[in-house]
Amino acid sequence: MTTRRTFLKGAAVLGLAPAIASAQSTAGKVVVIGGGFAGATAARTLKALAPRLDVTLVEPNPVYTSCPFSNSVLANLREISQQEFRYDGVKRAGVTVAETSATAVDATARTVTLADGNRLSYDRLVMSPGIDFNWGALPGYDEAAAQKMPHAWKAGAQTVLLRNQLQAMDDGGLVVMSAPANPYRCPPGPYERASLIAYWMKIWKPKSKLLLLDAKDAFSTQRLFQNGWAELYPGAIEWVPLSKGGKVTSVDPATLTFTTEFGSHKAAVANVIPPQRAGAIAGQAGVADRTGWCPVEPVAFESTLRPGIHVLGDAAIMGGMPKSAFSANAQAKVCAAAIVALLAGVKPQDPILINTCYSLLAADYGISVAGVYRPDKGQLTDVPGAGGVSALEAVGGLRGQEALYAASWFRTITAETFG
Amino acid sequence: MGRVLLPVLASALLLAGPAQAADAPPGASSCTGCHATTKIADSVIPRIAGRKAADIVTFMREYRSGAWPSSVMGRIAKGFDDQQTNAIAAWFAAQPE
Repeated sequence: MTTRRTFLKGAAVLGLAPAIASAQSTAGKVVVIGGGFAGATAARTLKALAPRLDVTLVEPNPVYTSCPFSNSVLANLREISQQEFRYDGVKRAGVTVAETSATAVDATARTVTLADGNRLSYDRLVMSPGIDFNWGALPGYDEAAAQKMPHAWKAGAQTVLLRNQLQAMDDGGLVVMSAPANPYRCPPGPYERASLIAYWMKIWKPKSKLLLLDAKDAFSTQRLFQNGWAELYPGAIEWVPLSKGGKVTSVDPATLTFTTEFGSHKAAVANVIPPQRAGAIAGQAGVADRTGWCPVEPVAFESTLRPGIHVLGDAAIMGGMPKSAFSANAQAKVCAAAIVALLAGVKPQDPILINTCYSLLAADYGISVAGVYRPDKGQLTDVPGAGGVSALEAVGGLRGQEALYAASWFRTITAETFG
Repeated sequence: MGRVLLPVLASALLLAGPAQAADAPPGASSCTGCHATTKIADSVIPRIAGRKAADIVTFMREYRSGAWPSSVMGRIAKGFDDQQTNAIAAWFAAQPE
């Protein structure tokens, strides 16, 4: 543990000892809804910064299944159990974990009603509900259809279902994926998934091909992915952009058929990554706008619609910052510090945030996209000249090195989040 | 001189507590998304807590200029000016290893 002596020494370097002293004694009630990368980080960081705070994390699932690295489960590079994290470390940090869901938020009375009948009051509420799917936004796709055409965009049973379908597929079968328009969880995710399925097919189903139908004409880290596909899997992945008829207008789960503006495609295995919005409780709480996502100010990530509620992670509109686990963790640490400041009556400092997203194109082939962000004109904005993608020309084993960094990052971020 | 630092950083794997972000300077709390506050088995990413501030500053400057080649740190270092970098380095230097 950090001792008070080293802690104060660190603070003294920056002349911040008085503020630290107030953080140590800051009291109040904070409720966190949703125990993913944002929520679990926020809860633990709040207790680390202000041990006297009463922090409750509301999360119905006893086990969190991580989406980052779940594409490696599809490629049989990992077991789903390696994606699973419990809340013991969060509890050890002094956080009360309410293993139930939030059913209602009253932003005026500052209360959260829980499915188990309890009601929690709060001074500050953190909402990190992640995403829900816009069932019905894609005709033919609903929860029943997801059992035939898995989304696997919330990791867990859906990931295993898609993996099992791939393994049962005849060699030569066509895998069809659909990717949604922006914004959605994990911008490079669909392309990493296509890569790792191709990686797996090259070994186990060498006659199979993958068709990726996209509602966009451009995507994250596009040149690196396309160069990698040409190098590693020539002819195995066909990407169909919006302008070439990539937008899926309906699906038929009975026949595993995707219909686009230009025709239809019948799949042996179908993966639909559906249109998304903030988790449903955000709409109920009044923090989601008509886009389905949650606008926030860029310093403490407080809702611009409901004071006293901070929204983090995939559910929030974070300007230039993508919906990623790294972003969620970084936002949560900034938000926790800001909440401690606000509860102590201190103005939070303007933050700087970093995001780094790694994608694997093969077990030993990684690429990344990074950015640095700061508040500007009311939203988080890319710091000019910083960030960008991995070098297009890989020298000195760069792709292998980034695959190692990706694995190290995953071990780190999950430890930083869940303890 | 920065070139002999990596093994030193990589071997600095003593246990530390959770990140204390309340009064960390802007940007510092994001670093621990990769540079762990606790010992991580098999991580190839060095911890930076408790390292000398001057060494962190040297690395960040060399990453920023490209004098020290990197995969991702050059892209990140370009987001911080000297003053911001110095503050982050001083803060990490004051954290327990």
